[in-house]
Amino acid sequence: MIEMTPAARERLDNYLQRMRSELRGARSVLADDVEQSVREHIEIELELAEGPVGATEVIGVLDRLGPPERWLADEERPAWRQWMDRISTAPDDWRLAYLAFGLFLASLLLFQLIGPMLIIPAMVASRAYVQLARDRNEPLGARAWLVYPSIALVLAFAVGMLLIGPPLGAIAFVMQNGFDRMFDVPQNTIGQLRFTIGMGGVVFGSWWIIAAGFCAAFLRPIRFIFAPLLDAVHRKHFAVLAGIGALVAAGAATLIIYRH
Amino acid sequence: MADLSFDNWMTQLRKGLLELAVLNTIAEAPLYGYDIVRRLSDVDHLVITEGTVYPILSRLKNSGLVETYLEESREGPPRKYYRLSTRGREDLHRMNQHWDSLHHAIGGLRKERKR
Repeated sequence: MIEMTPAARERLDNYLQRMRSELRGARSVLADDVEQSVREHIEIELELAEGPVGATEVIGVLDRLGPPERWLADEERPAWRQWMDRISTAPDDWRLAYLAFGLFLASLLLFQLIGPMLIIPAMVASRAYVQLARDRNEPLGARAWLVYPSIALVLAFAVGMLLIGPPLGAIAFVMQNGFDRMFDVPQNTIGQLRFTIGMGGVVFGSWWIIAAGFCAAFLRPIRFIFAPLLDAVHRKHFAVLAGIGALVAAGAATLIIYRH
Repeated sequence: MADLSFDNWMTQLRKGLLELAVLNTIAEAPLYGYDIVRRLSDVDHLVITEGTVYPILSRLKNSGLVETYLEESREGPPRKYYRLSTRGREDLHRMNQHWDSLHHAIGGLRKERKR
């Protein structure tokens, strides 16, 4: 066993640690085998040194051995490491897109823990990337697959909450306080069913008219937040939503008026 | 740009040839790892970083082309020697034949161009 100064020992330990981490998971190379050979190589190189070997001598040997990150051929390396390499060596303008997609995947995988907290940074990173591409006048191309998912997920959640959140809350409030006490509800089953559907329809339809008005009023900021997925949305689409809301509310009101 | 593509070509060629070079190095007599590295390092442009050789030795051993054994050393701890297995010797023979025929064919192409 060669005697080394603490600094030299630390250098060597760091190098061997890097090597083990690099060789872990290699397809047809045994990490222990390689480590044993490398240790033997270092010992032979340094066996003629007098006294404790210093960091300079060790660094010289390690430099000739080269960085372990460059030892393995690509096909030898585990798939996840190849993926990480692709990210770290990707052109600068792809990294933000990879980060956004990574955060999106993490938000799905860790959904029950911190998923909801990760999807917002994923969405912000994606949106920033879309803006960057627009400022440079570059088409997103294949990068769209990396940045659209988080924007689409947040958009789907926001649309869902906007369309059904407040009406469901209102209906729950009414049901908790009892239909009977607030309204003249028929006693027979068919009448009760008509009344319940009618009440739900009025609440949903009315809310959709309000929501459509709100979205039409704030169309520009909404389109900006969810660009490019809402680029093709115009005020006329919210007019359609308001129209559907009016029809649903009117139909439902008819059920309530003629509930008996 | 031209340099970049030449470097890339050299890297690919080196990767392909290193296994053949390692097998030929131990074809005559068993050698221990450090000695194999030293001999390959003497070949110009073949080994850029010495550590590259050890994963190749491990892979060759894993695929059954090479065998290892330990031998005591007067200078220090026992050394791991590498030698060709029977299968390794057969494969090396085929690889060398293939290399010779490629070398011959490329030489032929170059001669044609010179005419």
